[in-house]
Amino acid sequence: MGDITKTSGTDFIIGATDPILITGATGFIGSRVVSALLNLGFTNLRCFARPSSRMDKLQSSSDRPDSSGVKIVMGNLLSREDCVSAAKDVAVIYHLAAGSGEKSIPDAFANSVVTTRNLLEAALRHNSLKRFVNISSFAVYSNRNKPGGRLLDETCPVEVRPEIRGDAYTFAKVKQDEIVEEYGRRFGIPHVTLRPGYVYGPGKLGITGRVGIGTFGIFLHLGGSNPIPVTYVDNCAEAIALAGLKPGVDGQVFNVVDDNLPSSRKLLRQYKQNVRHFRSLYVPHFLSYALSDLWERYSEWSHGQLPPAFNRARWHAVWKKTTFSNQKLKTQLGWSPRVSTQDGLQRYFEACRIRGVHA
Amino acid sequence: MLKVAIVGCGKIADEHAALIKRIPGSEIVGVCDREPLMGKQLADRFPVKRCYSDLQDLLSDSKPDVVHITTPPQSHFSLAKLCLESGSNVYVEKPFTVYEHEARTLIATANKKGLKITAGHDMQFCHAARRMRSIVQSGYLGEGPVHMDSYFCYPLGKSAYAGALLGDKKHWVRSLPGKLLQNIISHGIARIAEFMRSESPQVIVHGFTSPLLESLGETEIVDEVRVIIAAEDRTTAYFTFSSQMRPALHQFRIYGTKNGLILDQDQETVIRVPGEMMVSYLEKFVPPVKTAKQYLGNVGANLRKFLARDFHMKAGRNFLIEGFYDSITKGTEPPIPYREILLTAKIMDLIFGQLAPQSHSRPDSGEGMPLASSISNS
Repeated sequence: MGDITKTSGTDFIIGATDPILITGATGFIGSRVVSALLNLGFTNLRCFARPSSRMDKLQSSSDRPDSSGVKIVMGNLLSREDCVSAAKDVAVIYHLAAGSGEKSIPDAFANSVVTTRNLLEAALRHNSLKRFVNISSFAVYSNRNKPGGRLLDETCPVEVRPEIRGDAYTFAKVKQDEIVEEYGRRFGIPHVTLRPGYVYGPGKLGITGRVGIGTFGIFLHLGGSNPIPVTYVDNCAEAIALAGLKPGVDGQVFNVVDDNLPSSRKLLRQYKQNVRHFRSLYVPHFLSYALSDLWERYSEWSHGQLPPAFNRARWHAVWKKTTFSNQKLKTQLGWSPRVSTQDGLQRYFEACRIRGVHA
Repeated sequence: MLKVAIVGCGKIADEHAALIKRIPGSEIVGVCDREPLMGKQLADRFPVKRCYSDLQDLLSDSKPDVVHITTPPQSHFSLAKLCLESGSNVYVEKPFTVYEHEARTLIATANKKGLKITAGHDMQFCHAARRMRSIVQSGYLGEGPVHMDSYFCYPLGKSAYAGALLGDKKHWVRSLPGKLLQNIISHGIARIAEFMRSESPQVIVHGFTSPLLESLGETEIVDEVRVIIAAEDRTTAYFTFSSQMRPALHQFRIYGTKNGLILDQDQETVIRVPGEMMVSYLEKFVPPVKTAKQYLGNVGANLRKFLARDFHMKAGRNFLIEGFYDSITKGTEPPIPYREILLTAKIMDLIFGQLAPQSHSRPDSGEGMPLASSISNS
C-alpha cells in the first residue's frame, strides 16, 4: 500500500486534519484501514480499542513517521458514554468493530447492533459527522431465488429471516445494516455500507468455509469450481478508506472483491501445495445440498437435538455457484485492487507457512 | 395456559425461550430487558407479542404466572422479589442470589405469598443425574453417604466468555463476591448439597490464581479452588474447581457404606462401584469387565434417547422447567427442594468469604500455606 499517492483534500468530503474515528482499529482489517488513511494523508485518526485488545497489529501503523496524529482511545462500544466521548467532533466514522467470534445470536447482536446504535446516537449528539462507514459482509445476501452461476451484486436481496441461517454473525450483520439504514432514513445520518467478501492476507488463520470445512479429521471440499469472493486485506482496507471519503456516494452499498477470483478447487490445491498437505474429500453440489436439506429437516424434527448448523439457506449463501462483481466499487469509488490475487495469495500462504497455520 | 415472561434477553434467555416454546400449555407473554434492542431481537425471533424495558410494566400489563430471570446475578434478588411481590412464580437462573441471606428472603417471600420459586441448577436433571438419583433412592449406597467428590471445571482461556472476562476489568462477573467462581460453581456445589444432611457444614477452602492467568497479568480472578466440606454427622465432601486441569471434569462421586456411584455429566454416564471386593486375582479381572459392560449399557441408554430425540444438550433445563411448571399448575413440591437451594447458597457464601482476603496470595509467596486452610461454618 506504500504506493498510494496522497490525495489533496479537495477530492474528498473532509480535510486531511479532520478527526476520523476507526472502531475495531486493532483488528485484522481495521489496522490496515488506519494505514490506508495515513497513506492518503489523513493525520487525525482516533483508533477505538477495547482494553483487552492486542495492539500489535496497530503497532506498524503507529510506528510510522507520519503517525503522530494516531491516537488510541480505550473504551467499550456497549457503553454509550464511551461512544459519546470517542465520537466527539469526528467527521467520519469507520465502524469495523463487530461481534465476529460470537456463537450466540444475543451476544453477536449486542456486539454488533447495540454498539452500532450507540455510535450512531453519539454521532447524532455531536452533529459533526459527514459520513458513517458501515462494514457489513457478503454473509447478509440470501442468494436463494436465482439459479446457480448467476451474478451476485449490490442489487441482490438481503436475507429476510437471517435467524434461519443458524449463524449468529449473519443475523447480527443483517440487523446492523438495518439499523444504519434506519438512522440514515430517520435522522439523515450520511452513511455508506461496504460488504467485503472473504478478507485474507497475512494474519488470517485457516481457509475460508466457502472452500469447505474440516470435520472428523477430513476436509470436506464443498466449493468445487465456485469462484471464491476473496479480497486481499490491503485492497479491502483501501476500498473502506475511500468509501468514507469520496463525495456523492451516501446511501450506497458496495461489495468488495478483487479481480481474477480463484476457484475453490484452485485455492484448495494451492493451499495444499504452499502451506501443508491434508486429506480432502470433494462433495458435489447436489450432495451437499441434499445433506444440508436433510440436516435442516432433522434439526427441526428433533427440536434442535442437532443445531441447524447446515441448512438450505446457508448452502445457497455459501456453497451455491455464484459469480461476483466489483464494477460498482471501481466506477463510483475509483478503487482498483493494488495487490493482485496471485501476489496476495503468495503472501498469505507464506505467512501461513511461517505460522504453521492449517485449515 | 401458563403465562410466562423472561427478564434479561441475553444468551441464556434464548435457551429458555426455545425450551418454553416447546412446553405444551405455556406461552411467553412478554420479555423485558433494560436495553430495548435486546428485548426486541428476542421478541422478534420467537416471536413474543410484548416487549418491555421496565419490569414493573411487564408485571402490570402481562400479569405473568411465571417469570424467568436470566439477568446477571447482582440483579437476581431485587428482580425476583419484585416478581414474587407482584404475584408471579419465579425461575431464577444460577447463581440463585449473590448472598445466602437473599436466598432466604426470596424463599420466605415465596412461601408467604403461596408462590413457587426455583434455581437454575438444571444440571441436576440431566439424564445421567436423574439415573443416579433413582439408584441412590433405591438404597444402592447403603447407609450414607459417607463421602462425596464433586468436580466442576471450566477450561478458561478458550471460550469467548473467558476472553471477555479476562480482557475487561469492568466485566460484571468481577463485581461478584466470588467473581468467576460465583457464576459457575453452583452446579457442582448443588450436587453435594442435595445429599448432605446438614444445615451448617464446616468448609475449608484453598484457592489461588493459576500460573496461566497470572502470566496474563490477572490478579483478581481465583480460578483454582479446592474445598473440604464436613457435616455434623461426619458426612464429608470434596469440591474441585479448576480452569487448568484436563480433562475439565464435570463429575460427581458418591460413596455410601455399601457401594458407590460415579456420575460423569459430560459423557452422561453413571457407573456403579460395588463395595464388595472379589477374592484374590479375580478382583483384577472381573470388575473391569463388569465396568466395561456398564459403560456399554450407558452408551445404549444414551443412544436410545438420542434416537427418540430426547437427548438435547439442555435436557436438564427442559426437565427442570417442566417440573417447575407442573409444581405450579398441580400444586406439588418444586423440583429442587428449598433446603438444597439454601444449603448451596450457604456453602458458596462460606467459600467466597474465605477466598476474599486471600485472592492476592500466591502458593510460592514464602508464607507457608497462606491460601489455604481457612475454616468456617455458620
